Amino acid sequence: MKTRFLLPHKCKLIGWILLIPSAILGYFVVFSDLEFKFLELKVLILYSNGPAPWDPKGHFGFERHNITATVVGILFLIGALMVAFAREKNEDEFISKKRLESLLWATILNYAILLFCFLFFYDFGFMYVMILNMFTILILFIMRFNYVLYRSSKSLRHEK
Amino acid sequence: MKNNLKVERAIKDITQEDLAKIIGVSRQAINSIELGKYVPSTVLALKLSLYFDKSVNEIFKLEEGD
Repeated sequence: MKTRFLLPHKCKLIGWILLIPSAILGYFVVFSDLEFKFLELKVLILYSNGPAPWDPKGHFGFERHNITATVVGILFLIGALMVAFAREKNEDEFISKKRLESLLWATILNYAILLFCFLFFYDFGFMYVMILNMFTILILFIMRFNYVLYRSSKSLRHEK
Repeated sequence: MKNNLKVERAIKDITQEDLAKIIGVSRQAINSIELGKYVPSTVLALKLSLYFDKSVNEIFKLEEGD
């Protein structure tokens, strides 16, 4: 069975190579404000710190920003997407089904966590929730899908 | 849904791995079908039927509640 929208299998390895270092860097970017000096650049902005989103001030132009968080975030997302949506070596209808079930599981859990956080986190606490929530759905999916694959290949060892 | 894939496999004396290769699916798929954890698509059921030279109804059977 052909599954659409999946990347070639080798993307999984490339994905892990991007994902692991950017996850470690990402931890320091979020929790201890890591910024690399050489990433202090003038960048094109569509909207930055204007008085209000509808005010033309703060729209379009070039501003000086440290783009460490931008670079790390992008690398993390690209890595995570490659790991999550690379074809398995033996991708078939069974694995596709497990993939979709894992995605459903991850989506439900992700929003359950977000609902919980909406209730109990405020101000800066909630800002951290929003930052992390951009990535959790992919992280949950990758963990669940690989766990399910591991479990089903483990049950093979008992069979001949 | 019940199936007697394991029996058919024993008659033909073929391992899950070899069967999976011939049919073109993962070994997990064959294993999960045998354990009753996975209901295969019509295409896969027909491929198995073709390989064992038996009708789909002889390999797969409806259970009560299906």
